[in-house]
Amino acid sequence: MLGKLIKHEFNATARIFLPLYLIMLLLSLINRVMFSIDNLSKPLKTIRNFSIAMYVLSILAAIVVTFVIMILRFYRNLLSDEGYLMFTLPVKPSQHIISKLIVSMIWNIGTLAVVALSLLAMLGTRDNLESLKEILDGLLYGLRLGFGDKYGLVIAEYAILLLVGTVMQILMIYASIAIGHLFTEHRVIGSFAAYIGINTIVQMISTIIMLIWTNIELSMLNYSPYYSELNEWESSISILEAVPSKVFPFSIIFTIILSVVYYIVTNYIFKKKLNLN
Amino acid sequence: MSVILECNALSKRFGSTLALDNFSLRLERGKIVGLLGPNGSGKTTLIKIINGLLVPNAGGITIAGMAPGVETKRIVSYLPEKTYLPDWMKVSDTIRFFKDFYEDFDEKRAYDMLHRLNLDPSKRLKSLSKGTKEKVQLILVMSRRADLYCLDEPIGGVDPAARDYILNTIITNYDENATIIISTHLIADIENILDEAVFIKAGRLVLHAPVDEIHEKEGKSIDTLFREVFRC
Repeated sequence: MLGKLIKHEFNATARIFLPLYLIMLLLSLINRVMFSIDNLSKPLKTIRNFSIAMYVLSILAAIVVTFVIMILRFYRNLLSDEGYLMFTLPVKPSQHIISKLIVSMIWNIGTLAVVALSLLAMLGTRDNLESLKEILDGLLYGLRLGFGDKYGLVIAEYAILLLVGTVMQILMIYASIAIGHLFTEHRVIGSFAAYIGINTIVQMISTIIMLIWTNIELSMLNYSPYYSELNEWESSISILEAVPSKVFPFSIIFTIILSVVYYIVTNYIFKKKLNLN
Repeated sequence: MSVILECNALSKRFGSTLALDNFSLRLERGKIVGLLGPNGSGKTTLIKIINGLLVPNAGGITIAGMAPGVETKRIVSYLPEKTYLPDWMKVSDTIRFFKDFYEDFDEKRAYDMLHRLNLDPSKRLKSLSKGTKEKVQLILVMSRRADLYCLDEPIGGVDPAARDYILNTIITNYDENATIIISTHLIADIENILDEAVFIKAGRLVLHAPVDEIHEKEGKSIDTLFREVFRC
């Protein structure tokens, strides 16, 4: 049944995303052709400028649409009148959450991929690709300088953090909408309030954890019997070393815990507190 | 006779109002039951609880012996008062959707009914009037071979001609093991298809009896009795 939900959710959203992606790619190809012509006549220049502007707009539109559709699908499909259809299907509430989350993730990654692809299609000349390679090499060099042979781990952990971070953000919005649903009136305002509330609480918790952690680390350094300038140099090294061994792993675990909490809250409200208008 | 629905001392509270108050009811298979009561008497609340859209504060409920959940949703076909189909879908999309999720959905029956009511399956719901959307929903719901049908105000927004066809469809389409609950306050229109009447007032059960028995005992129609019981 989860597969069917995902398929349906995909159908319901693809009709918006696919045309948008197509427009973006088409505009980037038009721009590519325009860029390749050396002496543009004046009217062609105007067209070129216009199509560049349209391309930039299409990227902005895709980002906004990805975000808005994520919220709208969850709210409208599950908690407005359409909820009467969805919540009487023979599926578990958790499957609704998971299917919406998976499809949202697909479009998040999809939008990113299509933007990258269109940039490549538009600007991917041999010269540009070579300078891109140089930039990436420089980045890798810097990472290697900072993290030594752990630079691969840093990249992998960062990628994981981005991924779980996106999942967490989506689930946080879902939980806020679900909490807003607990109000009898002004549910949209309730959702916004819930979002701000959750954000504040999480900020507070992470600040407290950061403070405790840096205090422990600092105290270990300060009270070390051989405190010297050499130790200060070592301390900056140890902070860099902490990134792959402590900071990133901890952030990943913290993000996963938050995601699970948001999921449980949303699922509980759907199971026990559902009250469609 | 086996029991399809059993409510045991159900209570549901919304803030300070009791929508259902110690409500008990037992329905057998093979009946067409009128759930009758004025606005705000708890009809919709009861139907939502049967369909797992609300969780009661107290009391128990079973459908074919099971608490509301995935298994009961498989065998209960529900028509809410809302128009709940996504606007962007075509009528044929909604049929595919139902076929996808409900094993008991009879696609042929749905297309037959659409044809009879002159509804074009290739039309988008967006382009249909409210009454036409309600017809589509009713067709979808009645095209399932469910054990329990819950129809919440199924004929309110539909014109009298279609109303007759729909009521006729309901009677001719349901098999003898299924029970249909019809919630309405348009009693006169459905009186002659009902087997049983359930009167509900302020969340409490007032009366549950076979229609024939009411006719015999009281010597009056359900409609007249309703007007007496719920006199304002």
